[in-house]
Amino acid sequence: MASYLARRTGYMLLILTISSVVIFYALRTAPGGPSGGGVLSALSSQEIRQAYDKRMGLDKPVYTQYFIYLGHLATGDLGTSLANGTPIVELLGTHARNSLVLGLTALLISYVIAIPLGVLAAVKRNTWVDQLAMGGAILGMGIPNFWLALILVYFFSLRLSLLPSAGCCDPPQLILPALVLAAEGTAVTMRMTRSSMLEHLHDDFVRALRAKGLPEWQVIIRHVLRNALIPVISLTGLRLGWLVGYALIVETIFRWPGVGYLLVDSVLRRDYPVAQFFSLLLIFFVLLANWFADIAYGLANPRIRVA
Amino acid sequence: MSDLSVLDDKATWESRVERLWSAQPSRFQDAWYELSRNKLALGGAVIVLFFTLVAIVGPALAPYDYAKQVLSDNLLPPLSKGHLLGTDELGRDLLSRLLLGIRISMAVGLGTTAIALSIGTIVGMLAGYYRGWVDRVLNGFVELIWGFPLILIAVLLIGAIGPGLTGVVIAVGFVNWAGFARIVRGDVFALREKEFVAAARALGKGDLEIMIRHLLPNVVGSALVMGSYYIAIAIIAEAALSFIGMGAQPPLPSLGQMINEGSGYMLLNHWLSTIPGIVIVLLVLGLNVLGDGLRDVFDPRLKGLG
Repeated sequence: MASYLARRTGYMLLILTISSVVIFYALRTAPGGPSGGGVLSALSSQEIRQAYDKRMGLDKPVYTQYFIYLGHLATGDLGTSLANGTPIVELLGTHARNSLVLGLTALLISYVIAIPLGVLAAVKRNTWVDQLAMGGAILGMGIPNFWLALILVYFFSLRLSLLPSAGCCDPPQLILPALVLAAEGTAVTMRMTRSSMLEHLHDDFVRALRAKGLPEWQVIIRHVLRNALIPVISLTGLRLGWLVGYALIVETIFRWPGVGYLLVDSVLRRDYPVAQFFSLLLIFFVLLANWFADIAYGLANPRIRVA
Repeated sequence: MSDLSVLDDKATWESRVERLWSAQPSRFQDAWYELSRNKLALGGAVIVLFFTLVAIVGPALAPYDYAKQVLSDNLLPPLSKGHLLGTDELGRDLLSRLLLGIRISMAVGLGTTAIALSIGTIVGMLAGYYRGWVDRVLNGFVELIWGFPLILIAVLLIGAIGPGLTGVVIAVGFVNWAGFARIVRGDVFALREKEFVAAARALGKGDLEIMIRHLLPNVVGSALVMGSYYIAIAIIAEAALSFIGMGAQPPLPSLGQMINEGSGYMLLNHWLSTIPGIVIVLLVLGLNVLGDGLRDVFDPRLKGLG
């Protein structure tokens, strides 16, 4: 296990290093730039642009810029935003917290809805309960989250005036983005819980428990569900990774000032320091989530741990 | 004894075999029979066929040019005179834009999936066939891509390429091939131990011939089944990226771009966003349900579990 952990950690560092080089180069060699309409006005004169690039060190060769950036990172200096001069440390504090609040709420919502419904659908297989739950799941996977967001805003904000349509960070403002972010995960988890329950409902040990005279609900909750939840839990790591992707869209729609919103905005505005730091942060988070998924999977299935 | 004498007569024997063969339903007929009994999947197939047809002929039948602005006729509701689905904020005919939008979405879905299917099949085949270090390198890369959310990689790639549909196709194709590679690799891993591969090798066939003539036909089925899901994923991704301004650029109407343009008029003119949204939902549902049906046909073990 120890050597496995060491190998995984080394692998993660390698991927992070490669990603940092690729992202650094890709951003800076892409058309446009902070002085070409991203941060400065697109109508600025050639002299102003050159002066700006020189002041920001953007006129140096890309590899020189990369090593200067690494040097700053090594001393704990994350840099400042080109767009508004805010230190990245400050952005990190507020935006990472907002994203965590949103992501964890969405995760909680999806499990609270998905697991009971998945169990119910499996127990009542092929009845209307099952068909309704699975129909809902198919719909949940088919509706694009940004469109769901618009529809919810239309009903709850514009028509009924119950909830704010965007902004941060009061609890009412959290509800709609968290629901939208939770939607697809809920559908996937529900289908997974159901199929995993169905696999175990007819196992020998279940028959033995029933024969022993255990009440049916105890058989289902304490024994079948406990086994059926293993794949669902080991899916959590992957789900965290997917949430990062959806968060880019959902935060942008609801103007939720999280990391995803910041990343999309900074990539479009070519705010290099912000874009490169937060893309690396998200890549690190996804790698960490996958690492967690691997470990969880290994703990649940001791047979694959050696491999 | 008369039965045995037939065996001696080669010509009769051959014709008999031929008859037996033709009575045997082909794999395709078999699959079609299974699929035709699954009403949900059939419904999905009908939806997908309908939108394919619309994508092919729709724009030619469009009543107006998709970019023609008549500002005096802006924001007309659906069923207005001369504009079946109404007009947008610039007075452009919504139906004409929708027809082209469907073509763009379908083209992006098919295009990215064709790219992903080709790359994924080649990589999966090589990794599964050669194993060893080839597999470790290729599969390491596949698992890396597979573990990342599509939208995150797409946003970063488009950051490098620049916003637009080309960027979307490259980005989504670049991510989705990993899914195909995983499936094909797993299949080839199991298949290469089968007798027919050993027989082909014993006959002196080369690696390339074995992969193309003997393994490919056996893995292409499950890869195509996945294709249905991946077209849906690509259509949603294109719409999402266009929605946040990284995909189709105005005045080109992709479905996501149309929803984005309409999102500012939700209160009084919600159809600008709801109509293209309903089209996406229908299309994606059709593809997913069809995919489920195809999976049940080609992999009956999973029936009813998903």
